[in-house]
Amino acid sequence: MNLHFSASQWRLLIAGVALAALVIGLIVYQSFELAEADNMWDAITGAPDWQNILFVDALIGVSVVLFILELRGDSMRILLTVGMALLFGFFMTAFFNLDAADKFVRGNFEVRILSDDDSPVDLSYEQDISGAFNNPDDPITEGRYSFLGAEGDKVTILAYAIEPESGLDMQVALLDESGAVVAEATEADRRVQKQYGDYVQSETDAAMRDVVLPADGLYTILAQPEGDTELQAEFGVALLSDHDSAAGLIYNGQAVEDIFNREGDTDPLKQVDYTFIGGEGDTVTLLAYAKRANVPVDLEVILYDEAGNKLAENFDANDEQVEAYEELKSTRDSIIESFVLPATASYRIHVQPQPLDLSTKLDETLDETVHAYDAFLLGPLSKLNRWMDWQRDAITLIMLGLAIAIVFRAEQFSLGAEGQLYLGALVAGVIGLSFGDVPRALLVPIALFSAATVGFLWGLLPGALKAYLDANELVSTLMLNTIAVKFYEMVITDQLTPPDAGFSASDWIPENGLLAPVITVEQNSITIAIYILIALILFSWLLIQRTPLGYEIRMIGANIKFADYGGVNTKRTIMLAMAISGAVAGLAGAHLALGVHRKLLLTISIGLAFEGVVVALLARNNPLVVPFTGLLYAYLRAGAQIMEREANISAEVVRIIQAVVILLITAEALVTFFQQRQVRRRGSGGESGDKQDRSLTPAEGGVHG
Amino acid sequence: MALIEATHIVKIYPNGVLANDQVYLSVEKGEIHALVGENGAGKSTLMKILYGLEHPTSGEIRLRDQLVEIHNPQVAIDMGIGMVHQNFMLVDSFTIAENIALGRESTLAAGLTLDRQKAIRDTQELSKQYGLFVEPNARVEAVPVGMRQRVEILKALYRGAEILILDEPTAVLTPRETQDLFTAVRNLVDEGKTVIFITHKLREVMEISDRVTVMRDARTVGTVNTAATNERELARMMVGREVFMQVDKPPVERGTPVLDVRGLTYVNEVGRTLLRDASFTCYEAEILGIAGVEGNGQTELVEVLTGLRTASAGEAYVDGTSVLGHGPRKIREAHVAHIPEDRLTNGVALTASIGDNLIVDRYYHPPVTQMGILDLNTIRANSADMIEQFNILAPSGDLPVASLSGGNMQKVVVARELSSDPRLLIAAQPTRGVDIGAIEYIHQQLVDQRTNGLAILLISADLQEVMKLSDRIMVMYEGEIVAVLPNTPDLTEDKLGLYMLGAERQPTAEMEQNR
Ligand SMILES: Nc1ncnc2c1ncn2[C@@H]1O[C@H](COP(=O)(O)OP(=O)(O)OP(=O)(O)O)[C@@H](O)[C@H]1O
Ligand SMILES: [Mg+2]
Repeated sequence: MNLHFSASQWRLLIAGVALAALVIGLIVYQSFELAEADNMWDAITGAPDWQNILFVDALIGVSVVLFILELRGDSMRILLTVGMALLFGFFMTAFFNLDAADKFVRGNFEVRILSDDDSPVDLSYEQDISGAFNNPDDPITEGRYSFLGAEGDKVTILAYAIEPESGLDMQVALLDESGAVVAEATEADRRVQKQYGDYVQSETDAAMRDVVLPADGLYTILAQPEGDTELQAEFGVALLSDHDSAAGLIYNGQAVEDIFNREGDTDPLKQVDYTFIGGEGDTVTLLAYAKRANVPVDLEVILYDEAGNKLAENFDANDEQVEAYEELKSTRDSIIESFVLPATASYRIHVQPQPLDLSTKLDETLDETVHAYDAFLLGPLSKLNRWMDWQRDAITLIMLGLAIAIVFRAEQFSLGAEGQLYLGALVAGVIGLSFGDVPRALLVPIALFSAATVGFLWGLLPGALKAYLDANELVSTLMLNTIAVKFYEMVITDQLTPPDAGFSASDWIPENGLLAPVITVEQNSITIAIYILIALILFSWLLIQRTPLGYEIRMIGANIKFADYGGVNTKRTIMLAMAISGAVAGLAGAHLALGVHRKLLLTISIGLAFEGVVVALLARNNPLVVPFTGLLYAYLRAGAQIMEREANISAEVVRIIQAVVILLITAEALVTFFQQRQVRRRGSGGESGDKQDRSLTPAEGGVHG
Repeated sequence: MALIEATHIVKIYPNGVLANDQVYLSVEKGEIHALVGENGAGKSTLMKILYGLEHPTSGEIRLRDQLVEIHNPQVAIDMGIGMVHQNFMLVDSFTIAENIALGRESTLAAGLTLDRQKAIRDTQELSKQYGLFVEPNARVEAVPVGMRQRVEILKALYRGAEILILDEPTAVLTPRETQDLFTAVRNLVDEGKTVIFITHKLREVMEISDRVTVMRDARTVGTVNTAATNERELARMMVGREVFMQVDKPPVERGTPVLDVRGLTYVNEVGRTLLRDASFTCYEAEILGIAGVEGNGQTELVEVLTGLRTASAGEAYVDGTSVLGHGPRKIREAHVAHIPEDRLTNGVALTASIGDNLIVDRYYHPPVTQMGILDLNTIRANSADMIEQFNILAPSGDLPVASLSGGNMQKVVVARELSSDPRLLIAAQPTRGVDIGAIEYIHQQLVDQRTNGLAILLISADLQEVMKLSDRIMVMYEGEIVAVLPNTPDLTEDKLGLYMLGAERQPTAEMEQNR
């Protein structure tokens, strides 16, 4: 960090502070949900540990300023890349949402007819109706119910007492248009009772099974009490058939229901017609509406007469109608209101999803995408709880980013952070688990120190292999990772999992072994790891920029032959760089064990260390920039998770979008990294002895662009 | 009509450096046009603009009176402009023929489907046509620098270059190789090509060029016919003052032995003895020059003495303490400074700042490191001091060395090594690539320090430099010291040449006496 500010640095500082203020403002506004608050200040101070939360927000602001100050022009480039990547991700999200409007042509719906008039028919197939004999208000001694039947339809007619205890004995007859009896019944045998138990419960009820209708026409069901005609009792009549009813709908009767374009159907229902018998002059209202509000199929309804002439149609209800009819849930539902039927005849109601036009499709796609992206971009801030998740992830990633930045600074491609993380977690966890009665103030430092030490050693090892045996650090660290992870898993499953546990994980680490919480929101806490992190950032920066060892690391990274020539002990420096990096990664492991999971899980990281690589590369291996890039990366990760939960996109697609965004950002980091390497390489030639052959004038062809 | 003409070229680098300011350059067809100027005057920048590697901030380029835009080197190549950089851009592990053929079809697919037989034939043909001898089947990494340069030139010609830009081609060449190059360049011109030639050696300008353009402080001072000028006038145009190129070298009595080398032998990994039983002494207040054709063990001698290679046998003492076998740190702590022959390999770290480059030998102790912490103020003060003292053209010590011109990088190295308060300075090619003004300064520095008691071991491909500065001259041939001679006025280049080419060898007794 350069403390002597020039004019352009002042400008940068101002830009950085402005950006930081913006970022902090957004975070506070969103995470405290100030939009809904009456009094903003109360909303903030009402939150638990709000001072500490604001402190962390301030630190985020500092990371923004550092990012701008340290990277200058490069910071704009990174922001631009992130912006472009997000934009690209937006288009991808839109692409995967191109079918968003399909919900308007898909889903359950119902159709009903309402009318104040009596229906010419009272029943249709698969319906029942009820009445009461000798009710003082409306004394009837028989029930007559008409229905429209087609020749050959097989119907079953049941007449029954609603309350079996009432003692009502039923008989039933089916009459044709001329009044002639087609069939009759007085009993309901056991088989009928068994099959139609919903309706028929006693043999005094009456049932006609599988009567084949002789002709098309209007039939009447006549239901009467048998024996005691004075009995006051409720009865019911059911008309059942496997055939489609010629009169599908009845005024004020039950609604019919179906599903348009059901997903997975090979031959989905695309449109449907219902008939009903209407009387001349009857005023009817036809309703077609989505069954569930969250499956918002958009319907249109058309009324035809028998000859197929269109009598009325409607695509969308208006707001008053939605108000007036409880069935209607939105204006997407359709209604033909108060239509006066011209004749007594059969009518046809045609219902289908309203065809999608392009603008609806685009609107919907855009809506969905914006919704998904809103979750992606602002999700991690939408609640304090999510903000906490973001912060905890960021702490891990920043620690790992620092670890990687230290080795990468020396141009050592150690990817050992993963293994060091596991071992750090293991050692810290085991210490926390085993010495629960040691006071926290002693136990936690010991656990942390041990985690750092084991990480240090696990980094020293590949360092030594590289320095003395010239073993490629990439290969050796990857192998050491496998060893560390397998060893960890072995210890967890064989030693630490309690015998009665259902899955491999240790017991909870006792309180004394855990990092003390600094912020707790709904049992979710951020621990003193945040202070450890701040210390680590300062440490890494000091180490690299302000110590002789850091100088050695930097010179080795810039040109190892130059370092050698200048008298730097390159072997020692490489080993130390890898070991110190390991110690930091070990602490990241301790943070996971003692601060995040509070127990040792079987899997604590799937390639977290590799994400640390991206964080470090994006930060140009600058410890002061790593906090920002770590926060950014953790934010994108958290956002993707929330998008997956909240938006209408499948988890896989979210992964793809996240991967593409991160890939683009990584590509930027890698390109810059290799460009710089190339510049460095220009200097150092090959290994051959004829070095004089390479005395070059470097400005020529040196750095351009 | 000018073949290529650049007018009002302005180039401002992203860091704000104004490298070209209203530059004008006009080159006629078929001429050899020299471009000279001090370090950082903007020569390379201008050439990079013509070759499409850099884009001018403003200005126009006309090729055969046509206004052109040269977006990238491919465009330049298509227009018939070729450039040979100082740091060659060859694929080291490929053969020369492959490198040349790859130049034309610079795609990966071309690399896979390369017709090797045809490549070899083409290379041989081209090589014969222009008198540029190369071995088509040798791998680039295994051939000497002079041949690499010819490969670069052939590569450009193979791609159809009509205008050939050579940026400081002779800086790395031995006098012999330089003469070969000049012959080839004349051939090229006879074939109708045009050559633009950058050098800091005015002798070469006088010898080879038809016209000279002089640059100073990012501007063109003017273009003159070579026949109508002379070295002194050119020097004056470049520097803006009289340059004498004479060093003021008072005689001093040499002191006690500082460096004592006994039986030093170096055998490389494949068993070749590159340095055989070298024994000599370098005294306080003495410049001991090493003469020899490049590749006769000088490099190995220097690298063994500075700890970059491990001796196979023998000893070296600095002020009586044995220094070998413990790496460069120990040697540096014995107050040995080292100007390496190739600044880019190990003399500088390009991406590191100038300030950091200036402390690599002293970063770990006070005043740079105090109580375990680097003192940035000391580092800054040190770099500001060096920039001032050695006239390094750099706006600030915080900038990376990569943004310096070639000569200024060399000055960074020289500044660091001379300022380390050494007892012994091992200076290999100390003035490679620096301009005449800086050569004058560096030479004077070397002599002054020797007068004040410094022992200097000077290695240079430039025999005149050795003869001008040295008190004694040691000649190496095939890894052996074949003569040690006091640098008396009667010592001639011809006499040295006999030893250098192995035609003669000094009698042992005489050598012992001069040792
Ligand atoms: N990539 C770069 N970025 C910033 N500044 C640069 C860059 N390259 C060159 N410069 C600056 O531009 C100026 C001109 O450099 P240039 O390399 O053209 O000089 P030159 O005439 O070739 O010098 P030399 O004789 O030392 O090679 C110098 O001040 C140099 O520091
Ligand atoms: Mg140059």
